[in-house]
Amino acid sequence: MNKNRHRTTNLIEVNVLARLIIVAFLVGIAALFFVYLKNQQHAVGNQARITEAALRESQAKNEGLKARITSMTSRGALQRRLDEGYIKLDAIRDTAIARVTPAMPAEEDGVLRTASRDPASRFGPGAPQRTINR
Amino acid sequence: MKGTGGRIGFVCALMVLIFTGFAWRLINLQVLQHDYFSLKAAEKHCFRQPIQARRGRILDRNGEELAVNIPVRTVTADGTHIHDPAALAAVAAPFLEMPVSELTQKLSTKRPYVVIRKAVSEENAQGMIRAMEKAGLRGLYLEEDAVRSYPNGEMLCHVLGFVDHSGHGIDGIEKMLDGELSGQDGFRMIEHDRRGREIVIYRGQEQLPEQGADIRLSIDMGLQAIVEKEIDTTYKELHPAGATAILADPNTGEILAMACRPNYDPNHFNEAKVEQLRNRAITDMYEPGSTFKIVVAAAALNDKIVDEKTRIYCENGLFQYGGKTIKDHHGSGDLSVSEILMKSSNIGSAKMALRMQDNCYYDYVRRFGFGEKTGIPLHGEISGLVNPPHRWDMITKTRMAFGQSVSVTPIQMVMGMSVIANGGKLMKPRLVLSKGEGSGTQEVTPAREVVSAKTAGFVADALQRAVSDQGTAPLARVEGYTVAGKTGTAQKISPHGGYLDGRFIVSFAGFLPADQPKLMGLVIVDDAPIGSSANYGGLVAAPVFSKIASRAVRYLDIPQESAAVMAQSANASTITAGTH
Repeated sequence: MNKNRHRTTNLIEVNVLARLIIVAFLVGIAALFFVYLKNQQHAVGNQARITEAALRESQAKNEGLKARITSMTSRGALQRRLDEGYIKLDAIRDTAIARVTPAMPAEEDGVLRTASRDPASRFGPGAPQRTINR
Repeated sequence: MKGTGGRIGFVCALMVLIFTGFAWRLINLQVLQHDYFSLKAAEKHCFRQPIQARRGRILDRNGEELAVNIPVRTVTADGTHIHDPAALAAVAAPFLEMPVSELTQKLSTKRPYVVIRKAVSEENAQGMIRAMEKAGLRGLYLEEDAVRSYPNGEMLCHVLGFVDHSGHGIDGIEKMLDGELSGQDGFRMIEHDRRGREIVIYRGQEQLPEQGADIRLSIDMGLQAIVEKEIDTTYKELHPAGATAILADPNTGEILAMACRPNYDPNHFNEAKVEQLRNRAITDMYEPGSTFKIVVAAAALNDKIVDEKTRIYCENGLFQYGGKTIKDHHGSGDLSVSEILMKSSNIGSAKMALRMQDNCYYDYVRRFGFGEKTGIPLHGEISGLVNPPHRWDMITKTRMAFGQSVSVTPIQMVMGMSVIANGGKLMKPRLVLSKGEGSGTQEVTPAREVVSAKTAGFVADALQRAVSDQGTAPLARVEGYTVAGKTGTAQKISPHGGYLDGRFIVSFAGFLPADQPKLMGLVIVDDAPIGSSANYGGLVAAPVFSKIASRAVRYLDIPQESAAVMAQSANASTITAGTH
């Protein structure tokens, strides 16, 4: 009787159970890790979006300020200020100009240049030095 | 026991049925109707976000900014996200500078896309978003946009042109180079969450915009400011119907400055009248008067019909031809070609033209570039009016010789005079030096050779004498430089035929230094109400040229000519004057 009862008892197969539990645990961990990564992705994406927006805002502000500086320092604006008397223009006499390089006629290099542009910048590093005439 | 088994079986069957139903529904949603629901979801959450290309700037030859963009925002509303329009309007209205009631009305919509306000400043737009977040409201969104700004206002307005509300060029360089300036917009496929925020990890296809190219003009704003100032003074002092001034480099055809009056502010172009919008330098044709005498003189010399020593009898100031009388301002006897130009003799010019074959003369007029568009990249250029020989009457050729019966545009006149200045080559006007960073400057090539260098040199010498005390334009002189040029005084054409009494278009076209010209200039004053006795090119336009040129040579640092050159020039004028 006892022997039969013993024979029909369902044995707990610890090995199998342990394996199942481990697999289930690993699957659970993997799923949690997936969710964690997904959340991280969203969080990083959100940060990227906020950073992009901040960058865009800064760029736009920068552009806006540059445009404002341009309009405030444009020739038209300076001429208006000059006409209104906010600024004054004093002509510099030729005798008061110290030429670092002599005035160069355009035919030498074919470039029309203004008095305000530095003629020295036209010469390359290997170009001969010009004499200073004060 | 049997009853129990039946009930279990029934419950099991029911469960199987239910789960079969669920499974079928799942398959139906996920497999059979996959495409339909994917599309629905995409419509709801996926958007094609445009990425605007930046419109290129317009710069002068030295990199000075002439047209720039100011970033602004367009505020749009999604009506499906708005639950309380009044509350949202109360928060947003101060930033949008709109009355609350008007904004409430605009926000009371269920449409998913409504433009609420354009050109909102970045500060205001960001302030509005922060205020909405603080109040826990949603439904208003921002789109990137930009408005075009012209920092110099009215200066160079006719060359720059302007853009319309959608950012497309309407006039000037803005129109002609709209394609290069606009660039190509890009896009990005994005998904929104239910609060309208982008889900960055679901970003889809992306195409970056092709930014518009920066256009570098040949205009030098230093020279432009000089021209604008002088032409403005003339316009305010003389009150003419219009005034035009152009500076160019005769050797390359580069336009260095171009100004017309009346003008307008391209920042407020909608306030301008049609008259103000017109670029008279390219859209207006006028009878050039005596400045056109260079054509007949150069043509006759080049074809060896006359030479330096030929003397032409100028009928003491009255010449009957074809039933009409041609008059000179000061009567003369025999004059050389040089003296004809110096004294601006109509009779001498007419007689030179009469010595030429009709077709040959017409061919020279056309070779100088008159009667055809110069090809300057500006909208609305006209070709002027030069009638072919078969449409001439008996006196047309004589009239054309001194600038009547022919109409030219100011830009044609500048290029025509440049032929004399640069040794006989017709240059194509250059207004654009480069388009974008990668593009190099185009090589300068003349359109054609019109006359020989010798002929051009001879005419240039004669024009130098025209700017002496014995010539018609002593007021065009520039201290320290030799100037060559020609005045023009033409009666205005009546719209009803014939000419208008006492109404003139006066001009001066000249270049300097006369021997090696660097600068070519034209000044035209149209119908100044100052009386016939004072309304001459030499009295009105020449002094303006002188003022412009005096400041321009200093600005360009063109070395003064030596005293010897100046003295030689003065002697030549005196000797020539003493021979008649």
